[in-house]
Amino acid sequence: MKLSEIQIENLYKFTRQHYVYHYDVQTELVDHLANDIEQIWVEHPNLSFEDARDKSFKKFGIFGFMDVIEAKQKQMNKRYWKIIWRFTKEWFTVPKVVTTMLIFLGFFFAFQIPYSEYLFLATLLILITFEMIAVYRIRKEHKQKEKKEEKIFLLEAMLGTTKNGFTGVTFINLFNFIHLTRFNFSSLNIYWLILISSVITFLCIIFYVSNYVLPQKAQELLQETYPEYKMVKNL
Amino acid sequence: MYQEHTKLLDTISIKKSKSLEVTGKQLHISTIKRLHINKMGNQKLYKGSLQTIILKLLETNDKMYGYEITQKVKELTKGELKITEGALYPALHKLEADGLLDVEVAKVGNRLRKYYKLTENGTKETANKLEEMQEFLKTMQHLVNPKFSLE
Repeated sequence: MKLSEIQIENLYKFTRQHYVYHYDVQTELVDHLANDIEQIWVEHPNLSFEDARDKSFKKFGIFGFMDVIEAKQKQMNKRYWKIIWRFTKEWFTVPKVVTTMLIFLGFFFAFQIPYSEYLFLATLLILITFEMIAVYRIRKEHKQKEKKEEKIFLLEAMLGTTKNGFTGVTFINLFNFIHLTRFNFSSLNIYWLILISSVITFLCIIFYVSNYVLPQKAQELLQETYPEYKMVKNL
Repeated sequence: MYQEHTKLLDTISIKKSKSLEVTGKQLHISTIKRLHINKMGNQKLYKGSLQTIILKLLETNDKMYGYEITQKVKELTKGELKITEGALYPALHKLEADGLLDVEVAKVGNRLRKYYKLTENGTKETANKLEEMQEFLKTMQHLVNPKFSLE
């Protein structure tokens, strides 16, 4: 006996109820459960769909789908950082390396101005504000998508939200660090300034890549990651 | 006999007595414990080899989906090894993250199915892992069965 369309839909809902939120992860689990249910029916033809489903789910152990979700998230994280790195590397090759050098020199000289730390703190504050607005907007969009029960892929969600979490936290940490230690850039020796400017330049590039480059390329990246993306979204 | 003993552990709680009377036979607790640990230990022993098992299967079968892998392993080992769902998918995802596996998705009936297959790197790594496994088996053989090694 094969599962009907409605039963497949029910399995998607079932995974959703068990904290699997992303379509790509759901799909694999649904196919697994469906295969197993069909196998269970061969042995116990009289079992109801719900009972067979629960029997199959039990085989995942007491943590249910948690291990699967965790492994998937780890895998996708790795992929996400690989993508960021791919686009970040571009900034260290001609012609973009010129811009990178300019940013670096900009920080390097700016730090040598007396009281530059206040300038820096002010810039950070402005950036944090922009971040907060962006996060708020994305959360709202995300909620709307969820309401419409749109199929959201894991990487899709990461391209949208993770970056904001990451950059926001980095900025706030940087702000606190400088503020609390009463850092005085202009009194530091030149090697420290080179190091600090390099790190900040690097952070700027990652910020730009994750916030502007990746969302622009999202469609492309998703199709590259998910062979089923086009099929599911009817592109 | 083996199954009988392990079943016993589920049903009888062993208290202070050092041995048990089972259908007229004296069975020492240590024997029962050993048998029980054996059964549990088996699965643990296999656990470290899960990746190698998956890679080997994909080498011989070109492309497979998750459920197919569990069934195939059950069939090949005549039920001795059952890969649990909670272990299989994390292992597959890890291998995918390491660039050893590639995925393909096809519509089968009314649902989507995700197939895994070896990448070029994966094929190389499979050869490495199998070699490692052979080494491991040989070493274990020497350790566990020294007589065997003298031959």
